[in-house]
Amino acid sequence: MLRINFWSGLAVIIFSITLLTWIIPTFGGGGFSFGLPPQLVATIGTWIMLLSASSLVVLSAVTMVRHKHPFIVGVNLGEIWHQVWPFLYVLFFIVLAIYLPLTWIAPFLIAGLLFILDERRWHIYLICSLTPTAGLYILTVYLMRIGVV
Amino acid sequence: MPEFSLLYSAFSTALSWESITVILGGVLLGYIVGVIPGLNRAVAIAIAIPLTFYMSPYAAISFLIGLSKGTAAGSAVSAILLNTPGESSSAATCLDGYPMARDGRPRTALKIGLLASVIGDLLATLLLIAVAIPFASVALKFGPYELAAILVFALIFIAGMAGGSFLKGMAAGGLGIILGTVGMDPETGAMRLTFGYIELMDGVPILPLVIGTLALSEMFVQLDEYRRNKGQKAINLSQNKDDNLKWSEFKTTLPTIFKGTAIGAFVGALPGLGPSVGSFMSYGAAKRAAKNPDTFGKGDPRGIAASESADNAVIPASYIPLFGLGIPGSVSAALLVGAFMIHGITVGPLMLREQPEMLFSLFSGMIVASLLMLAIGWYGLRIFAKITSIPSHMVIPIVIFLCLAGIQVQGFGTFGLLVVFGFSILGFFLKKFDYSFVTFLVAFIVTPMLELNLRQSIILSGGDIAILIDRPIAGFFVLLTAVLLIRFAWTGIQQRKKSLPNAD
Repeated sequence: MLRINFWSGLAVIIFSITLLTWIIPTFGGGGFSFGLPPQLVATIGTWIMLLSASSLVVLSAVTMVRHKHPFIVGVNLGEIWHQVWPFLYVLFFIVLAIYLPLTWIAPFLIAGLLFILDERRWHIYLICSLTPTAGLYILTVYLMRIGVV
Repeated sequence: MPEFSLLYSAFSTALSWESITVILGGVLLGYIVGVIPGLNRAVAIAIAIPLTFYMSPYAAISFLIGLSKGTAAGSAVSAILLNTPGESSSAATCLDGYPMARDGRPRTALKIGLLASVIGDLLATLLLIAVAIPFASVALKFGPYELAAILVFALIFIAGMAGGSFLKGMAAGGLGIILGTVGMDPETGAMRLTFGYIELMDGVPILPLVIGTLALSEMFVQLDEYRRNKGQKAINLSQNKDDNLKWSEFKTTLPTIFKGTAIGAFVGALPGLGPSVGSFMSYGAAKRAAKNPDTFGKGDPRGIAASESADNAVIPASYIPLFGLGIPGSVSAALLVGAFMIHGITVGPLMLREQPEMLFSLFSGMIVASLLMLAIGWYGLRIFAKITSIPSHMVIPIVIFLCLAGIQVQGFGTFGLLVVFGFSILGFFLKKFDYSFVTFLVAFIVTPMLELNLRQSIILSGGDIAILIDRPIAGFFVLLTAVLLIRFAWTGIQQRKKSLPNAD
């Protein structure tokens, strides 16, 4: 947990500094106000993040140095891939949804994931992919009357 | 005190066929979700919010409250039959529920769990009704100073009590505050952090945020867990005639249930603690108070009763700060605030003055939900036991589809899908790196209210901090916040010294 705290804290620090030095001054809004400028609350939130993350990083680093724990260990690429592929899979279907209605691609989204997760029974494919899709079709076309989404 | 006619009208609304149907649907869906391991209350509420768009505000909120209650009761089923809690708060139920089921008494274990859940839930609902109304009456007298001070106090309290590291909780809260300011500034009209997207003018849309951070990210976590926990088998309900709950046995669990309810209600009323803390505290208290504590962990019915009564008592009790002060103390309460907002209702003490019928109807609906929970759980035992055997690899793809469909149906389009995806990455990291999710969500939801009250306070006082001397309640909460900060920092340092460092 120490290493996670250290590296995640560091990421939060970088993000907070980016917010304080660039994002909030540029995109945080401006204009005359009584007492509470538009950027103030966001700036306070960022300072809370920055101070908390800095304390976390310092405390984790001190403990790791004291107990001689390494700051970097070998990265297991297989483990990372197992965590990343679901995001890429869903992102692929989100990109597809820009061009095609979700109702059309939904059976492929569900069936594809079932296949990846080692399901091989055809009736499960049919039930799992067609029932929710049919539900969405009926909901949008007949009940809400907004057409195929 | 509320007028009798108001109470009569509230109960008439709650007992109408339309209302019962909606609550029944919510409890039933909640029960099913609770039974399926991997799906939790937050996921269920997040993906159910789009379903409530076309309901009346009362029906929508009753449906979601019924769903929330149903998941708490249903999660005991998988804890007992599968040794895998449907909700983390039912983990304590596994300790005695699973050994009891393995010993050939699954039906008895399930019935004890159900009755403890219903009693805990019902009593805590009555407590909510008794406490929230006087609480809200007092809160109505508060001005912007008091509200701003209480909101800051609540955020710090949640960050410290929500489990895990206080520093991480504060960092998550900071991010919630930043996201809560996105959109048009109500005073100057300036666009804040919208990056030119007109869709962000009214702020970060709550539905994509909750679906992304709660539901979709949870499915990514579940996909990661799935490869580690493949092939679990549930215990079947036996045909054993001795496997039925007898009054004499149930009677022995009643004191534990009442004690568990009291612990759960206390824990629930404090923002940020959550049902897991309540159920484990209650389990520990029951074990310590028992004459024969060695039987705990080996199938003692009091273990199930303690855990389930507290778990279910937390849910209604967590609505006390919500209806009393407008502060959501848990993820499910925060999601309810989102649902209230979507239906144009400001939840909090103002409801007592502006929409008392609605408030009392909701309270009546909660009692109806508790009773329906008993009926559904009792008669649906066999069906729910079957549902536990639905493998998670069939559930995950459908839930992912429902997350995307919920966004599309509400017309958020591609922008909404991308926002959901972005927040799912954020939610995944919050969960994986143990940053307090509840602090993030509560901070996001209360920030507009906090900003409004801060602005009013600064304008009224002319920026003079000495005003706090004339406002003793606000001053008290400011002082309490400072004490709390020091206390959490001190506790964190002490814990760091005591615990062995874990490098990973």
